[in-house]
Amino acid sequence: MSCARLPGPVVLVFLLLTGCQQQASPEPLKVYRHALDGVPSSLDPAHADDIYAATLVGNLYDTLYRYKYLARPHELTPNLAADFPQVSDDGLTYRIRLREDARFADDPAFPGGHGRAVTAEDVVYSLKRHFLAETRSRGDWLWRGRIVGLDPDTRLDTPDQPVAGLAAEDRSTVRIRLGAPYPQFAHTLAMALSAIVPREAVEHYGREFGVHPVGSGPFRLVHFDESRAVLEPNPHFRRGPIDLDAEGYDAELHHGYALEGVDGKAYPLLDRLEIHFIPEPTGRWTSFISGSGVDFVMVPPELSERVLVGREPPMFSREMRQRYHSRHAVEAGFAFYGFNMANPAIGHNPDPRRAQRNRALRCAMRDAFDWDSRNRSFHHGLGHIFPGAIPPLLPDFDARLSGDSTAHRPERARQRLADADWSPDRLPELVYGMEASVHQRQMFEQFRSWMDAIGYPAGKLSARTFASFGEYARAIGNRRLDIFLLGWTLAYPDAQYSLQLFYGPNAAPGANSFNYANEDFDRLFELAATLPPGPERTRLYRQLNEMVIDDCVLIGSISRTRLYLWKRHVRMLPDTEMGNGEFLRFVDVIEGSAE
Amino acid sequence: MSHGRFGRLLLRSTLGILPLLLGVTLISFSLTVHFGPDQTWEMLGRNPTPEQVASVRQQLGYDRPFVVRYADYLVRLGRFDLGYSQASGEPVLALLGRTLPVSVALLAPGFVLGIGLALALALGASWRPGGFIGRLCSATSAVGMSLSLVIVVIALQALFAVWLDWFPVRGWAVDGPASYLRHVAIPTLALIAAQLGYSLRFFHAVVQATLNDAPVRTARALGLPRRRILTRYVLRAALLPILTRIVFAMPLVLISGSLIIESHFGVPGLGRVTWEAINSGDQPVLMAVVSLSAVLFVLALGFADLLGRLVDPRIRPT
Repeated sequence: MSCARLPGPVVLVFLLLTGCQQQASPEPLKVYRHALDGVPSSLDPAHADDIYAATLVGNLYDTLYRYKYLARPHELTPNLAADFPQVSDDGLTYRIRLREDARFADDPAFPGGHGRAVTAEDVVYSLKRHFLAETRSRGDWLWRGRIVGLDPDTRLDTPDQPVAGLAAEDRSTVRIRLGAPYPQFAHTLAMALSAIVPREAVEHYGREFGVHPVGSGPFRLVHFDESRAVLEPNPHFRRGPIDLDAEGYDAELHHGYALEGVDGKAYPLLDRLEIHFIPEPTGRWTSFISGSGVDFVMVPPELSERVLVGREPPMFSREMRQRYHSRHAVEAGFAFYGFNMANPAIGHNPDPRRAQRNRALRCAMRDAFDWDSRNRSFHHGLGHIFPGAIPPLLPDFDARLSGDSTAHRPERARQRLADADWSPDRLPELVYGMEASVHQRQMFEQFRSWMDAIGYPAGKLSARTFASFGEYARAIGNRRLDIFLLGWTLAYPDAQYSLQLFYGPNAAPGANSFNYANEDFDRLFELAATLPPGPERTRLYRQLNEMVIDDCVLIGSISRTRLYLWKRHVRMLPDTEMGNGEFLRFVDVIEGSAE
Repeated sequence: MSHGRFGRLLLRSTLGILPLLLGVTLISFSLTVHFGPDQTWEMLGRNPTPEQVASVRQQLGYDRPFVVRYADYLVRLGRFDLGYSQASGEPVLALLGRTLPVSVALLAPGFVLGIGLALALALGASWRPGGFIGRLCSATSAVGMSLSLVIVVIALQALFAVWLDWFPVRGWAVDGPASYLRHVAIPTLALIAAQLGYSLRFFHAVVQATLNDAPVRTARALGLPRRRILTRYVLRAALLPILTRIVFAMPLVLISGSLIIESHFGVPGLGRVTWEAINSGDQPVLMAVVSLSAVLFVLALGFADLLGRLVDPRIRPT
């Protein structure tokens, strides 16, 4: 239909509204619209410690390493680095050579506005920058006390201040010296927090660097607000061709996703990548099912009834499978309840007998907890319940570990209380912390009803609510809560990342929110953390996991299953869990077949 | 009214709002500081040390006395220096400059059309009480006031964006008049539906009361045309309460209306930014929005007062 032949202003407006304008402003050929369930607050890599910021940063900037597109369990592969690091025999010195062809995107921060080559000095600067006060880094803890010269109390005044363990040997070689072996070090160099930034841009934009990203990644930012980010290919980014086999392609596993079509092509493959920030679950779903909305959705669990016909394992309905590509995967993290072990009324106690009674109390509360019911009530049956703190996604996960610690056994709980001489009037008053929401309140009431069933008086479990997660985290950090619900997302696929939650020196306000203090645990953790991957390290990790289960430090855990749907014209295999959304650089759109 | 008299009136109104402004900012600053979220823990990494906690608190200024912080805030407010967003680092003034026009562009059509439609219906209904338009107005008011804005938004999205696929479900990819119309269509309908009931009921009551005024009765007795009576006599006499309501509704719609509409439609306007700031505890942004809304309300108050004096000689100071 031609607009020109239709008279009348009303008709014209109607046509403008309903699509005639598409002739005036043609869309780029290949546009993919991705959906995220949160908004990144800053695009500064030094602040990118959540999935929302990391997804943007991972595509605007380069990290030295990244995870392979398809290989699972996750495997590192060089990204900005030309190869894997050369590690000295003692595991302390890393020598990393950079690609020669990497360039920053054009930006007014550079002389003449032309992006320059990425050098080893940029890598050194990017790591040092985390230790400048004005950076307000959220990632310095990854390298603090690890790299020689970056001690626990180090604060750099300027980036020119030398750091003994960080040096650019030449234009394209970085040498990093560690104080002790740190096998996870290469993983930290794949995190968005470690992305390489140009000093000129940081100094040019100052505090506004968080909204003016300048990187050497596959895309450059053309628009960013609270609703969406629009990215276009960085013309200086030349990688590829895509080697699907090297990325971990498995014909049996990946059949049906049409991924073969991207093999051998240079990437990125899109003309434009739009990332829409849609925190509201129904908003995400509505946008996905509408013709002009997003091309991908992580199905909100509350809408799982609409798309699934089975749950163990999740099975998408025939309609969904016919209309869309689908996939389900376990999240790279887990949720658990923790006890504050610093409270002598329930945790560590100098009196050995009381300490034993406290342990019995914690174990009884754990026995009273009904994970299956919790999974049905609040996770729509999509949770994977497992004992301890090594989630199923990790290679060190022990599928044969007894599920006794996650079993609902109220009789045993009552017996434990009786054996330890706990009666209702002698049980301690405990504070349960939560964020202010109906959902959290319901979880608390469910928790309290289970405790009530084993004889824990409801009046002795009080709830304290907090307006935001920050307030809640502050209360945990200040050790004001006795029982708390927390989630922990893995930044790299190594059980060390989750077991550090129980490491004594990490006590609150650090990651050890439990304030668990066990010298044997700490000794074994330090030993395991220096070992390379292998059976010995796996054995130690599992032993550590059993220690915290045996001490009843936590009630847990649960990893949720993610449900992904994406439109048929998009060639990709999404992974929103580990890494920095690097799969987006391999996304392709089949031209002319968009809905 | 002479220019000199108008100037004095303006000056008096302006001076009158200053103490009000000071009080409003003091209350809102106190509330934000004492009850607003503490951003320290949002800004820390996953494994902070007590020293890092103290350092971030110091950088955020949380360790300074309240009076010093408030005085500093007032001085900066006076210089239009609203600081930087603690979350993104974007200057708050630039952030407001970026989002305020979006909110105005999003909400203005719905606001103007809603007021216009309500006024037209109220005039029609009041002229012939008990007639079809009158009954329609009563039903519309009742339905409009009973419906939740959220329900209206969801229903409109389902109908026009999903089922008919005429307009985008959400977002604000505006690059010209056509895309603007496409993005603004459903929010406009939602806003009209949300405010029509209340406005209609108010305007109807005001117009009905005015129709009983002696000058209007005289005009009707003289047989003047209906249009002339409604525009020259009724509207003119009812202008003061109508204008007051419209002026007061403006900041309310801009701040609270945008909070709901923009959150639902994913529009990067002032409401969306405010919502994010509330969630993250971004104090500079939050204080800027609170101050802005306080200023807007106080200005609306002063403006309504000024307008009242201009259009109604009875309340002009002698």
